[in-house]
Amino acid sequence: MEWTRKDLLSLYDLSAEEITFLLDTAGEFKKVSERKVKKVPALRGKTVVNFFVEPSTRTRVSFELAEQRLSADIVNMQAQVSSLRKGETLLDTVRNIEALQVDLVVMRHSTPGAQDFIARHLKCGVVNAGDGAHSHPTQALLDIFTIREKRGRIAGLNVTILGDILHSRVARSNMWGLLKLGANVTLAGPSTLVPREFESVGVKVCHNLKEAVRDADVVNLLRIQHERQASGFFPSTSEYARFFGINRETMKLMKPDALIMHPGPINRDVELTSEVADGPNSVILEQVTNGLAVRMAVLFLVAGCVKK
Amino acid sequence: MSDASYIFKGARVIDPARGVDAVMDIGVAGGCIVDPGEIANPEVVDLSGKILSPGFIDLHVHLRQPGNNMAETIASGTAAAAAGGFTSIVAMPNTNPPADNAGAIEFLRQTAAQKGVVRVLPCGCMTKNYEGKEMAGIGSLKAAGVVALSDDGRCIQDHSLMRHVVEYAKSFNLPILDHCEEQTLAAGGVMHEGKWSVLLGMNGISGAAEELMVARNIILARQIGWKIHMQHVSVKESVELLRNARAKGIPVTGEATPHHITLTDECIKSYDTNYKMNPPLRSEEDRLALIEGIADGTITVIATDHAPHTRTAKLVEFDYAPFGIIGLETALSLCYTELVAKGVINLAAFVKLLTTGPAEVLGIENYSLAEGRPADIVIFDPARKYVIDADKFKSNSRNTPFNGREVVCKVCATLVGGKVVYREA
Amino acid sequence: MTLRKRLYSPEEISGAVERMAGAIREDCRNAGCDDYALVGLYQQGVPLAERLCDALERLNGRRPPMAKLDISLYRDDFGKRSALPLIRETVIPFDVNDTRIILVDDVLSTGRTIRAALDALTDYGRPGVIRLAVLVDRGNPEFPIRADFVGFGCNPPSDHKVAVQFDADDPGENGIFEVEWKKY
Repeated sequence: MEWTRKDLLSLYDLSAEEITFLLDTAGEFKKVSERKVKKVPALRGKTVVNFFVEPSTRTRVSFELAEQRLSADIVNMQAQVSSLRKGETLLDTVRNIEALQVDLVVMRHSTPGAQDFIARHLKCGVVNAGDGAHSHPTQALLDIFTIREKRGRIAGLNVTILGDILHSRVARSNMWGLLKLGANVTLAGPSTLVPREFESVGVKVCHNLKEAVRDADVVNLLRIQHERQASGFFPSTSEYARFFGINRETMKLMKPDALIMHPGPINRDVELTSEVADGPNSVILEQVTNGLAVRMAVLFLVAGCVKK
Repeated sequence: MSDASYIFKGARVIDPARGVDAVMDIGVAGGCIVDPGEIANPEVVDLSGKILSPGFIDLHVHLRQPGNNMAETIASGTAAAAAGGFTSIVAMPNTNPPADNAGAIEFLRQTAAQKGVVRVLPCGCMTKNYEGKEMAGIGSLKAAGVVALSDDGRCIQDHSLMRHVVEYAKSFNLPILDHCEEQTLAAGGVMHEGKWSVLLGMNGISGAAEELMVARNIILARQIGWKIHMQHVSVKESVELLRNARAKGIPVTGEATPHHITLTDECIKSYDTNYKMNPPLRSEEDRLALIEGIADGTITVIATDHAPHTRTAKLVEFDYAPFGIIGLETALSLCYTELVAKGVINLAAFVKLLTTGPAEVLGIENYSLAEGRPADIVIFDPARKYVIDADKFKSNSRNTPFNGREVVCKVCATLVGGKVVYREA
Repeated sequence: MTLRKRLYSPEEISGAVERMAGAIREDCRNAGCDDYALVGLYQQGVPLAERLCDALERLNGRRPPMAKLDISLYRDDFGKRSALPLIRETVIPFDVNDTRIILVDDVLSTGRTIRAALDALTDYGRPGVIRLAVLVDRGNPEFPIRADFVGFGCNPPSDHKVAVQFDADDPGENGIFEVEWKKY
């Protein structure tokens, strides 16, 4: 197959073949990052705008480095939703950006579907760097890339995503990607944060930690936001840690070679203890490394399909 | 009043209040329905193959004037109503400023008299500034001419206050039209809480938010013995509550909107803000329950909840878009297509939903084509297939997801007081 | 209907490969260099480089090291195509620095691919000498790039394509072809 999309909005939109194509391309970019000269001229003369309408450090830095290694010109724009809503509309803002002859907009936004909305109105490419609780395709791709690298396959693996699924774009993106590639997906966590409605798309929903991790080949932990406690989803982070945190004892229930993943930033002693985070099963830092390769692959492919 | 006189020949006349469903001649003179034999020099119009019925009544229209004339005005909204076959519309009071006082009602009545082409029936707020805190001057509103009370867009959360409003409204013979929504279960929601909100990562509005307030209203209606009409019923459980309550003789009624019987929450996966309204599009199960409720007489009214918004207002992120969909100019076609063309109900039952059903809620007696009644008439062609073209709308706004949809049944002409206020081009 | 005309047979290709291998050996020997390596460019430069290695092994009794190079990230027509193919695996099993390198591709046309390959290769190190071997030189250079070792020369109309096929399932499909693309 050949890559033909100018936007990457959600893994829900992609076929298994397209996801595999992205992962394979990322594999070649990972090798570029291992060379002495870590830069390629592929996006030379192209301009990429990193437009973050929600604060982000890790994802933005990862995208920025990926763009630099592809030789793109980069503009960083940050905006607060509050000021954006008072002044010009989001669409006017991105149209102004596009008028500067930009090729790609990498965008993060706090509301679901914001990137789908602007992509419909722009000629330049749009890469979703996270939209509310909806989608974060590059994070899911790097998670899946890491699993595939470690296990050699995705099909047939038992992958448990554990934590605040309800508010997680990482969970939603991983779920679609993993399902398309044939994994068995379990979504686990407190019942208030893991709605049963997910079962309708063929994933297992589980509100018991032991049951959720017992057969898992991979356990992907999601960050618990303290504000969810204030909204009454669970009583306290310490109670969360007691019933849903991964520690030495829970590791004993798991397959000895199960992978421990986390999109970061981690809350030590909430989602997982330091022993687990820094232990032999953890691939958390490799995820970060792979994120760079995945984002280079995405930017390269998407930019290649933008018609100017 | 109009001096023109007509004899409409050959139409199938459906007049639910009198139980008429037959091909017959209808005469119009002096703004009223008259015996065709008594008209001198009438214009005779052949309406073979067409349906003629009393003009439609919409219990739920947002005219936006005053406050947001860009989205709609009394002139444009009533023109849209006429194009949709509606001869009377109930104007929701949540304008800016809201119609919570006699002056606002007077403004509406005067402007409607000058600029309106259909009858605008004013509705007043239940509470001051529709804030759900203090009762509005209901007696003065009645004196100024309101036909009903509503805090539409919001819902009185304080049950004690609601009880007093209903009791007080009863003494002024004003029906209550209530937007049933418990706030804490709806807070922050932008779409139906269910499979699709979960998959799309959007904040949901629980169906329980509506169900709770429908139950509350049924309790109050029973206790007080006064009419409470549930606006835009959207969930299955509300239909069931209404069905049981009506079986027990409690004076409650319910309306369904064209969009809730045609669309579901799955539409929102496109993030098209024209699918954003409140109550939100619900599940397929809910949609089917509404249709069942219509079929068995639990729901007696179709109302549009015509809620115009400018293109600018809707052309934003889904979360930030205002709730609302326009409906006046698509209601007949959409509902006919969904209900009659698909064989759910017959044409006579369908016409009731748009005429005697809403008339009963407002306490209008004998809403019919009986001789001597005002000639408020709609003529429509049930066989006409066409594609909805929002660019041709009379409304100032275009916020409809139905643009481009193929439907059947079209309004041919609308008469208010014997005057033709809409005629198909 | 597209025209597809065979210019040379697999047997003629084999002969050309032998001649090119001899010339490469000769050139290296004249330069006093025994440590040279071949770099095949995807797609058809790779099987050609393998054949040249085979021939050089037969001539020298020793097989030169061989690399496979994908130049997708170095092309100058990025963003001008509507679809992107998969990047193939670049494998360079030797140190590029100071090495005498024979770049191998099937057809030399505009020279743009070779320009990209030179950029790509120099990102892996600083080669000693770089020579270019092509099976067909179709003679319409857009860049000042010439091949050092050429199997065949030909001069078809500029809107015709010259295609090389080595390992088709149907042996009758192998050879060097001139193809006229139907214009849409």
